Amino acid sequence: MSGATKLPWVVVLLAVLLYVGWAIWPASALYNDVLSAHRLLAIAAVFKLAALLLGSIWAFACRDRLETDNPARPAWFLLSLGLLSTFAGQLSLAPFQLVLGETPFPTPGDIFYVLAYPFLIAALLVFLNAYREAGLPMGSAAGRALLLAGVGVIAIVILRPVAATAGPLLDRILTIAYPALDLVLLVPLVLLLRVALRLGRSEAGEVWLLLLSGFVFLCAGDICFAYFQSLGEEHLDPFVHATFILAYALIAGGAHRQLRILKS
Amino acid sequence: MTKPETIDSVVKVLGPYIGETMARSATEAHCHKLGIADGSAVSAEQLETLLGKLGGGLNIFLGRDKSKTAIGEVRDALTRGGGR
Repeated sequence: MSGATKLPWVVVLLAVLLYVGWAIWPASALYNDVLSAHRLLAIAAVFKLAALLLGSIWAFACRDRLETDNPARPAWFLLSLGLLSTFAGQLSLAPFQLVLGETPFPTPGDIFYVLAYPFLIAALLVFLNAYREAGLPMGSAAGRALLLAGVGVIAIVILRPVAATAGPLLDRILTIAYPALDLVLLVPLVLLLRVALRLGRSEAGEVWLLLLSGFVFLCAGDICFAYFQSLGEEHLDPFVHATFILAYALIAGGAHRQLRILKS
Repeated sequence: MTKPETIDSVVKVLGPYIGETMARSATEAHCHKLGIADGSAVSAEQLETLLGKLGGGLNIFLGRDKSKTAIGEVRDALTRGGGR
C-alpha cells in the first residue's frame, strides 16, 4: 500500500479513535473544551456522508466498467443503490446534526435507511449467484441449513430484549427492523465469507476483506444502536458513530479497490 | 502435461489475482467436471475448455480485459512448461 492510499485509512482510523475516546472519556478536556458534542456530531455526519457518496460513486463505476453480460455487474449496481439510499437517509439527518447538534429518531431519513437494505441484501445475493454460476465452491446444502438455524438463534437472542422494551410503536418497529434486516444480511454475508477466505491476500481478496468487514461493522452498528436506543444508553452513541464511520469507509474502500483492479 | 502440473501452473499465475486456495479449488473443481483424471495427461482440447471455464470465473472478479490477460499468462506458463 502506497503513502497516498494509506492516508485515507489513517484519517478513518483517527476518526474512529476520536469517537471511541469520546465514549470512554466524555469528561476530558478534548471533548469539552476543544470539541463540543455539536462539533463531534457534525464531523461524524460529514465523514459518513463523504464515505457513502464516494462508495456509491465507486460501486457504480465498477458496474460501468464491467461488461453487460458480467453476472457481477447488477450486484455492483445494487450495492451502489444501497449506499445511495443510506446516503439519502444520512443527508436528511444532516440539517439536524449540523445545525442543531442533535439526532432525532425516528425521522423521514429512516425510510431511506430501511430502503437501503433490500438493495444491499440483493447485491450480496447476486454476488453469491454469480460465484456459484462461475463454479466456485459454495458449501453444502446442510451447511447452509446450519447457517440459517444459527442466524435464527442469534435473532432470538438479539431481538428479544429489544422487542421487550416500551416506547412509541414506530420507534419500536424501527429499532427491531434494523437488527432484523441486519440478520437477513448476515446470511449471504457468511456464505460470501467462505468465498472471501479462499481469496486470501490476493487482489480480489483485498476487495472482499474490505467489503465484508464493512458489512460486519454495519450490522454491529445497527445492533448497538438498537440496544442503546431501547435501553436508554444513548451516552454510548459515540461507539455507534465510530462503528458506522468504519463500516461506510470499509465498504467504500472495497468498491474503490475493485475499481482500481478494473482500471488496471 | 499432467493434471497436477497443470493445476500447479494455474495456481502460480492466478494466485496473486484470486488467491492460491481459490485458484486451486476452482481449477480442481473444473478438472473434475471435465473428467480429467489424476495423473493423466491434459489434452489440448481439455486445456482450452479448462481455461475458458477459469476465464468465466475470473471475469466476475477482474472484468473481461484483465481476465483475458490473466488467462493469457496461464497459457504462456503452460506452454513454457511443455504442455502443448
